[in-house]
Amino acid sequence: MANEMLNLTAYDLWKQYGDTPVVQGISFTLQPGEIVGLLGPNGAGKTTTVGMLFGTVVPSRGFVQFGPWQMPSQGPQARTQMGIVTQEDNLDPDFTVFKNLTHFAHHYRITGQAAKQRAGELLALVNLSDRAQAQVDELSGGMKRRLVLARALLNRPQMVFLDEPTTGLDPDARQDFWRLVQHLKASGCGILLTTHYMDEAQRLCDRILLLQQGQVIDEGSPDVLVERVIGQEVAEVEGIAADLLKTLAQRYGAWCRSFGSGHLVTLPSTTADLLWNAIEAHHPQRLLRRPANLEDVFLRLTGSLLE
Amino acid sequence: MKLTAATPWGVYSVWWRHFQVYRSTWLVNCLPPISEPVVYLLAFGYGLTPLIGGVDYLGQQVPYATFIAPGMIAVGVLFQAFFEGAYSSFIRLNFQKTWQALLTAPLSFTDVFLGDWFWAATKGTIAGTLTGLVAVIANLYAPSSLVLSLPLIVLGSLLFGAFGLLVAGAVNKVDQVNVPIFLVVIPMFTLSGTYFPRDTLPPLLKTVADLLPLAALVDLLRWPLGLPPWWPWSLLWLLGWLVLMARLAALRIYPRLFS
Repeated sequence: MANEMLNLTAYDLWKQYGDTPVVQGISFTLQPGEIVGLLGPNGAGKTTTVGMLFGTVVPSRGFVQFGPWQMPSQGPQARTQMGIVTQEDNLDPDFTVFKNLTHFAHHYRITGQAAKQRAGELLALVNLSDRAQAQVDELSGGMKRRLVLARALLNRPQMVFLDEPTTGLDPDARQDFWRLVQHLKASGCGILLTTHYMDEAQRLCDRILLLQQGQVIDEGSPDVLVERVIGQEVAEVEGIAADLLKTLAQRYGAWCRSFGSGHLVTLPSTTADLLWNAIEAHHPQRLLRRPANLEDVFLRLTGSLLE
Repeated sequence: MKLTAATPWGVYSVWWRHFQVYRSTWLVNCLPPISEPVVYLLAFGYGLTPLIGGVDYLGQQVPYATFIAPGMIAVGVLFQAFFEGAYSSFIRLNFQKTWQALLTAPLSFTDVFLGDWFWAATKGTIAGTLTGLVAVIANLYAPSSLVLSLPLIVLGSLLFGAFGLLVAGAVNKVDQVNVPIFLVVIPMFTLSGTYFPRDTLPPLLKTVADLLPLAALVDLLRWPLGLPPWWPWSLLWLLGWLVLMARLAALRIYPRLFS
């Protein structure tokens, strides 16, 4: 089993709490060596979906197949090959950093010298070897997240779930964490990442599912999504009347939406310079031309849903 | 709630985790709570025996200290098993999120539940046995009687551990654990025939006291002095409470972890 590569497939997952639907018909497959991102605002159903994948949330409809196991009925068996980093910090404050790993390894039947060796390897991997004897309370936020990740890797899992792993971390700590995620991917792990950071999703994910109100509103690789939904470039414009800007956008086949105190206008590749010059001719207070990103995609997709 | 299968390793592994915490701070964990029944035993045993002399128990005169020794074993069991089940499990469930972390490992709900329960029972058993050893040293309980009473100590520990877990699953704030302590644990600890024979109570209160699970445990632990004629029912009564408490505890805790 350990050498066989396992796929994880979510089939039409639904979750309803009372009358409130939280997840509505999510399906996807996660392959070994692939990073799939669930990207969406708070309350989009990301954590509920992850809960269904590892077995603490029972779907109202649909199921999850991971290799030979179905969730949640075969959760304990499936979790022998899963690594789970939950959103909340649940490290053991009763133990040192090192013992957090060796004692948790016991649950995977890794004991004695083997547990100590594995703990040592993982602390080196997440760069915490010099903190082995520290108490968990003495660690910074970023160190704690890295230790939770190390704990999730004790069993050399084939699938790793990272639920908002870098929320609340400073930029350096996020970079450190991203490096680890890329290392895991290179070692052949399938990774499911939930995040509300667009840059994180864009940087790490091979494929993204954009979630809103429990539904996948679009999916694809970050580049393809951006290219398909927005194009290559956008302009941020302030200080031009909305009507005028909309007329201009329409004339050049672009899309325009209010954004902060101004507007966001796509610059279609064939007419980008023409449209840019036309906007510039009206002397806006602020004008910025930049590459399109996932944030723009989300704005366009959810904006169109809200209108 | 769907009961998931438990594996012996899973249950042991959860129990072992709790044991490692206990081991690392065993003096702090172990001595003060166990000293409580021992202090009662010494204070009331030596302090009151000259005033009281003996008590009438099942038609015979028994020295007071000999009478309360089994009661103190039961008190040790009650306090330690209940407090571990109630406070410590509540903290592991709501503050430390230990249960949630364990459920990311290949463990089932039943593994984690049984591991916590058996650990609470282990602490009750340790307290009951150590109190019993003090009674043995003070020549108030025969060594062989203590060995033969071990199954009763375990049974009582399982029952009050499950009661503690039910409280941990039922309350929302840690302060609310005080409510069952004042409404159930303290009355039970004082009225169950621990310090005096229940025959001295007014009839209505005696009936209530007779029905308390700790009363059944105390009566059974006092077997070296004789058993009341209904003792098999006491045993069944304890088993019935045990099954009920464990079931209710699982039903209350499960929805806190699974949705």
